[in-house]
Amino acid sequence: MSAAAKLRFEIEDFSAPQKAEILPFYLVESEDADEEALRRAAAEIFADPLIEQLYDSAVDTDFYSDADYIAEVSFRPGVTDNAAHSAEEAFALLGVTARVASGRLYLLRGIKTREEAEALAADRFANPLIEKIDVFTGEEFTERRRFENIALPHVVLQGAPHVETVSLEIPDAALEALSKERCLALTLDEMHHIRDHYRSKNIKDSRTKSGLPHDPTDVEIEIIAQSWSEHCKHKIFAAKIDYCGEDGKTETIDSLYKTYIKGATRAIEKRRGIDWLISVFSDNAGVVRFDGKIDLAIKAETHNSPSALDPYGGALTGILGVNRDILGCGLGARPVANTDVFCFAPPDLPSAAGEENMPARLKEPKRIFEGVHKGVEDGGNKSGIPTVNGAMFFDRDYAGKPLVFCGTIGVLPHHLPDGRASAEKQARAGDRIFMAGGAIGADGIHGATFSSLALDENAPATAVQIGDPLTQKRLADFLLEARDKGLYSSVTDNGAGGLSSSVGEMAREAGGAEIELAHCPVKYPGLQPWELMVSESQERMTFAVPSENAAEFFALAKLHGVTATDIGAYNDSGFFSARHDGKLCAELDLDFLHDSLPQMQLSAVHRGDKPRAPWTADAELPDPRVETGADAAFLRNALLTLLAAPNIASKEKWVRRYDHEVQAATHIKPFTGKDDNSGPSDSGIIWLAPHGGGESAAAAIGCGLAPRLSLSDPYLMAQYAVDEAVRNVVAAGGDPDMCCLLDNFCWPDPVKSAAVPDGDEKLGQLVETCKGLYDICTAYGAPLVSGKDSMKNDYRGRDRAGRDITISILPTLLVTAMARADIRHTLRSDFRDVGDFIYLLGVPQAGLKSSEFAQHFKTESGLPPMDMQQNLALYRAYHMACSNNVMASGHDVSEGGLLVALAESMIGGGLGAEIALPETGIPVLDFLFGEAAGRFVVSVPPQHRAVFEDHFQGLTPLLLGRVTKEKTLRLTAAAPWGTGEMKLAEMEESWKNGLSL
Amino acid sequence: MEKRIIPLKNTAPKFLVLAGDGINCERETAAAFLHAGGAAEIVHINRLLGNPALLASFDGLALPGGFSFGDELGSGQLLGLKIRHALGDVFRDFVAAKKPVIGICNGFQVLVRLGLLPFPFEDRAAALAKNDHGQFMNKWAALDTVPDSICKWTAGLPAQFSLPVRHGEGRIVLKQGAEEEIYLKLRDAGQIPLRYAQDINGSYRRIAALCDPSGLVLGMMPHPEAFAFQATAADRAENPLAKGDGILLFENILRHITGAEQPQTEKETRHAG
Repeated sequence: MSAAAKLRFEIEDFSAPQKAEILPFYLVESEDADEEALRRAAAEIFADPLIEQLYDSAVDTDFYSDADYIAEVSFRPGVTDNAAHSAEEAFALLGVTARVASGRLYLLRGIKTREEAEALAADRFANPLIEKIDVFTGEEFTERRRFENIALPHVVLQGAPHVETVSLEIPDAALEALSKERCLALTLDEMHHIRDHYRSKNIKDSRTKSGLPHDPTDVEIEIIAQSWSEHCKHKIFAAKIDYCGEDGKTETIDSLYKTYIKGATRAIEKRRGIDWLISVFSDNAGVVRFDGKIDLAIKAETHNSPSALDPYGGALTGILGVNRDILGCGLGARPVANTDVFCFAPPDLPSAAGEENMPARLKEPKRIFEGVHKGVEDGGNKSGIPTVNGAMFFDRDYAGKPLVFCGTIGVLPHHLPDGRASAEKQARAGDRIFMAGGAIGADGIHGATFSSLALDENAPATAVQIGDPLTQKRLADFLLEARDKGLYSSVTDNGAGGLSSSVGEMAREAGGAEIELAHCPVKYPGLQPWELMVSESQERMTFAVPSENAAEFFALAKLHGVTATDIGAYNDSGFFSARHDGKLCAELDLDFLHDSLPQMQLSAVHRGDKPRAPWTADAELPDPRVETGADAAFLRNALLTLLAAPNIASKEKWVRRYDHEVQAATHIKPFTGKDDNSGPSDSGIIWLAPHGGGESAAAAIGCGLAPRLSLSDPYLMAQYAVDEAVRNVVAAGGDPDMCCLLDNFCWPDPVKSAAVPDGDEKLGQLVETCKGLYDICTAYGAPLVSGKDSMKNDYRGRDRAGRDITISILPTLLVTAMARADIRHTLRSDFRDVGDFIYLLGVPQAGLKSSEFAQHFKTESGLPPMDMQQNLALYRAYHMACSNNVMASGHDVSEGGLLVALAESMIGGGLGAEIALPETGIPVLDFLFGEAAGRFVVSVPPQHRAVFEDHFQGLTPLLLGRVTKEKTLRLTAAAPWGTGEMKLAEMEESWKNGLSL
Repeated sequence: MEKRIIPLKNTAPKFLVLAGDGINCERETAAAFLHAGGAAEIVHINRLLGNPALLASFDGLALPGGFSFGDELGSGQLLGLKIRHALGDVFRDFVAAKKPVIGICNGFQVLVRLGLLPFPFEDRAAALAKNDHGQFMNKWAALDTVPDSICKWTAGLPAQFSLPVRHGEGRIVLKQGAEEEIYLKLRDAGQIPLRYAQDINGSYRRIAALCDPSGLVLGMMPHPEAFAFQATAADRAENPLAKGDGILLFENILRHITGAEQPQTEKETRHAG
């Protein structure tokens, strides 16, 4: 290809308070415009002349003269380049057809050697998996004549598209090798099952008739592998498990999912006779009815493996992906809120001693943190969806894989303008199959199967993608307008498995489907048919469009700037078929594809405490009884230590970079309180009136997780997670009797094998967790409405010293709660008025094991027990008190315990407190720092004191003290602890600056 | 003097609220006009491109917040380019016809890039650059209302009130070398209707909003549409269903169009809140 003109442009922002250190640059080539025309257009597109200087070959440049090195970062071929796409659109607006690539220049000052510069660039400025880094000295940079030698990245794929036949009539070892080489993640049993299917006479006859080979095609094998991946099929949760508990009792569990997840919801539905579950376990998200006009859809997903490899792209595609789950729920829900929860290794890892133990090729924990955070920021903000709730949890065992949970809440009207129930969809035979949104590339091939394997240092870079929020926003706007116009009969998103999953799933609604792969829009030519079928290229949704609506559907897409392509039709053949250039290349029986997979058989055992795997050394903890005395000074020291601990410290500076108010419906925001609004909120509350709900209707969203408890008591871990999530929504005014839950399990591989010798124990932890989850959900009457599991969260590869290393995450259950609320009766966490009485609600319990305190100080205290019935009674009374506006503030007691909760209420209110610990029989350290479930700190105006105590009769509210004007916490405990004073300012200082990278 | 009643329904002034290409505050912006007693229609920019004459049938125009074109190449840059090339003439006619225009956040950035603010159809005098701290931020900012501003949208607002700001590129920069000269010109002409009470992003002289010499075209970084009700206030409110200070801008401009007077009692109740 010979371009008429190729130019390079570099842009310096001269308005910045400091001299620019990062300069974007663009490479532009056009076949029909000359240099002058390109330059004219570029001047309009790339720079605002008031604040930016545009450099190109015509402008003398020496902006880098004081830099020691210049790092040039550009995308590798095929990686999504959003800035370039926008620039191409801009050139088109000006009548110029151009190809654009973007990049960044980093001016490095104070760097001594090239090695240092290269290491810095690879660590801080780029991800070598998806980006190319070139480091130059100033002299080299001048000499390379960069304005003349211009090469845009091009994807060049070798070979013409063709379909291969894959014989399964080969020895077992070869079958296993085939599974590994093609990244199929299929077990030998599954390979045998496929082979046997193709051996059957029926299938052979039917394939002969269709002109297909008797052996499967590569397209078919790939469809099967994606559909049967752990990611899509949840085989472990569906398995038959022989379980032996800690007490030696054995039982057989026929599917954890059916028994404990779905089982809990069905039991609750039956017992309580609730009628507000509209759609559970059948669609992309759970749908509940808390309002007379609208329904709420809710879903949370994880994007762990992609985030480990490219934290920014992984998190960005994670949030955009779960948004599409909501857009594709029922006939389409409008996303109105996002949530995000991260589990990371502590940002101070690696310690100097543990440096060599870190996984090779993964970035430093703090870089993963930064990248994931930025991905969520861009994903939410650029989509116009507020991020209203979340959490960050730090533990060193997330060093091998970070957990990135992304959740979304959506709104559906009960009925669409044409009268259809919006939660129900039905593709019909004859409907056209439209794919809309982005085009297909090699990026994101094998995401579903890749995430069903452990991470190693050879993980494929094609599994890494960058999202395109603009394309998705256009797609979302289009989808909602098409929905209200009644243009389609069904919709789902293209997530894991790409078209193979979306069309394959929707084919079940109609009874069959046939697509023409060659019609799919592509990012570049040369993709193989199987790649088109399973690519997970982002921002795509699949629609079933009645043929009489096809023209209008297409025109509306065009108006919104959305690419929509007719790729086939649904039918009632019983098969999912695909052609490439007219030639049949796949024909899969739907029953075989979806319902024939044999149930996995697993064994599990629980033996009680399961200590951490010692992949890196632990620091020795101080013992409070030895190192310092039992006095007020120690309590002060402990409180300040806890406030500054990353698990407790304020996340404000990170969270404020998320837009949490767009859509103008966020009633309780992540931070609350007087003046600078910096006290933490227990849950986010979305007002539903702006979304079509009742005048004062609202939904409270909160979350809970307690992964450290997994090590000693996974049953209790599940209950703590649920209790914390429920308590968070109740604290702010959510109704415990109108509360639904999501379960997101992230587990280390729980299937015993040579590589995972303790798989049965990890599965035992999973069984215990499911039992605990079932018991508390049924006790609270809170149904699970949707969930997801991610089961291979291990790093198995080399450490930085080249030794084999395995790092398994803590078994983690995230519970998200959503409860009905009323904006006239909500409560915030900050103390409000001087003189208000401060109470502890909920029964204090002894126990410090697994607490945050126990991470910093040695203790032998055990686990605090859980009393579910008592908690529920308290939550109901609390909600009644909330509805009667009796309390001035309410805050849940969680990480760090009571003293931290008090400090947070003080910080939010800018007020002090005078506290005298009542005699409870519980050790002072346990009372102040224990994390027993089911507790709140509330403040009550003096005039409401009697009515407050009436509300909590029989629930023994414990008077702790009063809110004071003086900005100190004055704490009196029995001897030997005595009385101590802590300044609000020092608590605030520790809390606000604890989490810095 | 007898008060005139603000006309409702069919005769209410009707605003075109622009949408598409990554704009994302169109629904709450349209809702704010409705709550204030006006009418609003959300129109996709490509629909307007197909029928530019449509604009003239509206009484006012709003460019809402969002991330047009993903904020790539500078916020508002590409939407400004698209409007200038495809709709420049109708926008020019609209402003010349003395019809009110508001650009909020990304919409403000677009108005500036379009050259409609602060001096329409003259050389650019201002730009919106990256915040001095380099980050997007969502927080509530106290705003000082400049008492002698000519802006029709902000006339009679409380002396100080708060609105949420949600931007990464909200720092007002005036043309280099002529900052103070331009600043004084803007100030003396009453074209700076709102300032941040504290410096939050390095904006020149804490400028939060700019209007054109007619006072009808307003660009502002804070989000008035996000505070139409007390329900979305930063802190707890006695009555969450009572109106928020943000709605006052929309009421103001509707009154200006219909010629209605500002009710006197309202100012005091606002201060009480």
